[in-house]
Amino acid sequence: MSREHDGPSMALIVRKDLKLSPGKLAVQCSHAAVNCSLTAKKTEPRLMERWQSNGGRKICLAINDLESLKLLMGKSKSAGLITHLIKDAGHTELPPGTITVLGIGPAPKSSIDALTSELKPY
Amino acid sequence: MGLRSFIHRLTAPRITSGFIDSPVKLVLVINNDLKMGKGKIAAQAGHASVSATMKAGEKSPSTLDSWLKSGQKKVCLKTNYDDLIDLENEAKSIGIQTTRINDAGKTQIPSGSLTVIAFGPDDEEKLEQLTGHLKLL
Repeated sequence: MSREHDGPSMALIVRKDLKLSPGKLAVQCSHAAVNCSLTAKKTEPRLMERWQSNGGRKICLAINDLESLKLLMGKSKSAGLITHLIKDAGHTELPPGTITVLGIGPAPKSSIDALTSELKPY
Repeated sequence: MGLRSFIHRLTAPRITSGFIDSPVKLVLVINNDLKMGKGKIAAQAGHASVSATMKAGEKSPSTLDSWLKSGQKKVCLKTNYDDLIDLENEAKSIGIQTTRINDAGKTQIPSGSLTVIAFGPDDEEKLEQLTGHLKLL
């Protein structure tokens, strides 16, 4: 296997049950991606660099509901991965404080796959 | 007020120095000529946001700081390819940071396609003048 396949990745996990509009979805995922990247830059600069030089791979996955999202967040945190939960400010489509997206990574692709292998692309 | 705090007030850097007082936002404009799926668009917007953030961190840290502290406001708009290129040139001419994302083409679309350009983070009004006519995604 080439090394590229083991390069770091980031997963953006979105609640399916909210039925977000494409624009809202993009914005919420961007929030998660930025927050995760900023944390990575501080705490794991080498991983961050490797991730960026590999094209900053990201994947957007769908999850059924809030409960499953929280469960996954717990697993991700206990695995020691960078984890960020995004709450919407509620200016537009959703009530304030609605949890929309979970960002995981950048982290080794194998760690992300281990957590998210059952989820489908959004 | 004691002498010490008086002198301190004269010599300390102003808290607001370097910050933009007006609201700051980031505008993501999607190339609507490509028929990308929702998830694909979200990932591309994520690329653009992260790249724009890192770029701003090097080139205009105070703007970035204002943006991050005010809740990193983002808006996602759409337009066609030609208009997107025009906007990019216009933004460059008025000094708004642009971040272009070309897709690696591993899924859905041909390699190297221009998927999204991020404008900013910058002054909300300035961006409004540039992109105000575009539709929300």
